[in-house]
Amino acid sequence: MYTNEEINLIILSSFSELSYAFKKILSEQADLKNYENFLIKTLSGGVYNKVNSLFHDEGYRGGILKSLEKKGIKCVTIYSDGYPETLKNISAPPVVLYCKGDVSLLKTNCFSIVGSRRTSQKSLADCKKMAGEISSRFTVVSGFADGADSAALEGALAAGGKVISVFANGLDYIYPAINRPLADKVEKCGLIITEYPPEVGPKPYHFPVRNRIIAGLSKGTLVVSADKTSGALITADYAADYGRDVFAFPYSIGAFSGAGCNALIKKGAFLAENILDIFGVYSLDFNTPAQTDPLSEDENAVYVAVKSLGDAFLPDVAETLGKPLYEVRSIICALEIKKKVAALGGNRYSAI
Amino acid sequence: MLSKITSFALRGLEGIPVEVETDINKGMVSCDIVGLPDTAVKESKERVRSAIKNSALIFPVNKITINLAPADVKKEGSHYDLPLAVSILKASGQLSANFDGTVLLGELALDGSLRPAEGILPVLISARSKGFKRFVIPAGNRGEASFIDGAEVYALNTLKEVVEFLQGEKTFELVKARSYASVRKAQTYNCDMSLVKGQAAAKRAIEIAVAGGHNILLVGPPGSGKTMLARCIPTIMPDLTFEEALEVTKILSVSGELPEDGIVTLRPFRTPHHTATTVSLCGGGSGKIRAGEISKAHNGVLFLDELPEYHRSTLEALRQPLEDRVITVTRAGASVTFPADFILCASMNPCPCGNYGSAKHVCKCTPAQILRYRSRVSGPLLDRIDLHIEADGVVYDELISEAAAETSAEIRSRVERARQIQRERFQGEDMRVNSNMGERQIKKYCRLSAESENILRGAFESLNLSARARSRIIKVARTIADLDGSADIQPKHILEATSYRSAGL
Repeated sequence: MYTNEEINLIILSSFSELSYAFKKILSEQADLKNYENFLIKTLSGGVYNKVNSLFHDEGYRGGILKSLEKKGIKCVTIYSDGYPETLKNISAPPVVLYCKGDVSLLKTNCFSIVGSRRTSQKSLADCKKMAGEISSRFTVVSGFADGADSAALEGALAAGGKVISVFANGLDYIYPAINRPLADKVEKCGLIITEYPPEVGPKPYHFPVRNRIIAGLSKGTLVVSADKTSGALITADYAADYGRDVFAFPYSIGAFSGAGCNALIKKGAFLAENILDIFGVYSLDFNTPAQTDPLSEDENAVYVAVKSLGDAFLPDVAETLGKPLYEVRSIICALEIKKKVAALGGNRYSAI
Repeated sequence: MLSKITSFALRGLEGIPVEVETDINKGMVSCDIVGLPDTAVKESKERVRSAIKNSALIFPVNKITINLAPADVKKEGSHYDLPLAVSILKASGQLSANFDGTVLLGELALDGSLRPAEGILPVLISARSKGFKRFVIPAGNRGEASFIDGAEVYALNTLKEVVEFLQGEKTFELVKARSYASVRKAQTYNCDMSLVKGQAAAKRAIEIAVAGGHNILLVGPPGSGKTMLARCIPTIMPDLTFEEALEVTKILSVSGELPEDGIVTLRPFRTPHHTATTVSLCGGGSGKIRAGEISKAHNGVLFLDELPEYHRSTLEALRQPLEDRVITVTRAGASVTFPADFILCASMNPCPCGNYGSAKHVCKCTPAQILRYRSRVSGPLLDRIDLHIEADGVVYDELISEAAAETSAEIRSRVERARQIQRERFQGEDMRVNSNMGERQIKKYCRLSAESENILRGAFESLNLSARARSRIIKVARTIADLDGSADIQPKHILEATSYRSAGL
């Protein structure tokens, strides 16, 4: 199972008394044999006594490991072989990663997709599509918020790709709760990780800190939507700091949740309009998957009309084609089933 | 001396014969009414006393005992005034003629004139079927009585006239029968589909809903004309038949909401506010069990605007009547069944800010907020709403456009054709429209081709449909095929029906 060193780290990580900054310095110690000196130097007496006595308490140590095992949580520490090199190279790597799912994904090539919770339906549809395409070559990494993050995870999972979701809370919690079904899927077909012990709930200040892990794991980061103050920009900043590539969706002037993306592009981020804009940077090619379910003539006509209208309003499509509305409606439904078109709400559709 | 007069009590929509027996004895001057009278009936003696005196007749100064038989049925309402007064007059010897079998109904004013009473129509219908032929009612109820054939109904103005009539001193004209068609022509809806601009998708969905009797949910931004659309639903429904009109009129007669004509020929459109209580919606109340909004919407439309704002328990109470098309209101004293066969039309905003799916305005809600808003309406209720449709935000150009839109009459003719097909299909079954089909009928009448079945399977996989959505889609597809005049359900019908599923995120 775990080596002694790993167990020491897991136990230290379990103390809520020890701050993140403290754990970070601790992880930078060459070995943990001097941890005692270090603790004495930095902790106040009362806290030191408590931490020190529990650290040596076999019952406490066993209890922590047992409860992790019972919850199905695997720990990957900074000393473990499974710890990803990309993450080690950042300025403040997490000491212990609490994992649920396929731990081997940590060592794969990762690419992160992040964005705002407030993302237009059109961008969500684009995000899902691109996440699916990216997942053909990368493990898609994201947070777990609703909106863009969920769309990225769903898009990749739907395409049969692998995903890693980085939580900003312990694994006892699922936040936001409406994403519970998604969490189950990610656990089954991917990996959930967090640096927080299981019983730690989500706190507002966890999220920006968590973003460094998303950026740190990934070769590149795509921002699909962000307004000026969006947390997605923090992830992009981290990625730039770590020397990773930053990509952003382009938006028109004044578009909803688009200002942040455009600001990134102004600062030199890659403009990602389609998958080749991303794969080109890594000299990867993308083969459009063979059309499994060919479109009928009518379907193709509607598809072309929807595509050319962009954000296509159902009555407009009907008018363009000169067909009765209900006929177009049923054809669009067929295209939806074939996943060629996505509903944006309000009788609006977008080609995928 | 003892007298007996016949009147009627109402339990729900059913009339029960009541004997009013009066006995006058020597003794302390008093007037007692026994036989479970409610407050309105107890107070009746004061009105009767004045009415008799002011009609130049004599209220006996003796010990008067009045019994309302059967003694175990509660007597409610003010229509016992007239039988009470006549009974007293007869017992005191001021009326000598024999008028057994004449049913008297009516409320008295202090000056002796007759005031219209509630529930006359259901009483007349029940009494006629029980073999009673001759009725005296207040002149104000003349309208609703004029559609009862096979009965002699006299609508009189005062107690004095009633006495003259019963004694045979004067002759009065029978209430003239009127034809339903003539009244039908005189009443018109005050809205029309041609006045609703744009909204092509929603209009189509409403046409399907009406054709197959499906319930419909309109989702759209505020001010997009959802209410206007809903108001037009009755205008494209087939005309009420006389029997249906009587059903509607009976309910409104009991609630005292009849129009002047005395009969309702337009399909009801009821819009209870979202603060409505369960009892006001489903029926009930202390004392007399009254019909609720869902029964007043019988044969018409129940419109629930801003569905998520209704109390959850109120909405849940709708589930059973939506399924059974009747509601049985049970109280400790009695249990009454009212019809409740209506099309439910509900409307809601797509999200808390109302801009979800709008082209012009930006929706500022997170998916979690939207889900929370939508989950205020329970899944089981949504499962009973076959069509979900998004109303478009109104474009200014459309508002001022003069382009002729289809009139309600044009749409109605298509609806009637589809309904005719359904009538033929369901001959001998206890249902009239496609939405009434259960699993057994779906199997029998909605055979799917292999291609359609494949499409449905694909839709389930890629659109994440629930198992219950299947029968909903098939029923709607059946209606679309009927509108299309097609005997089989074709793939395009299935596809269109699928597109009316509940909007996902």
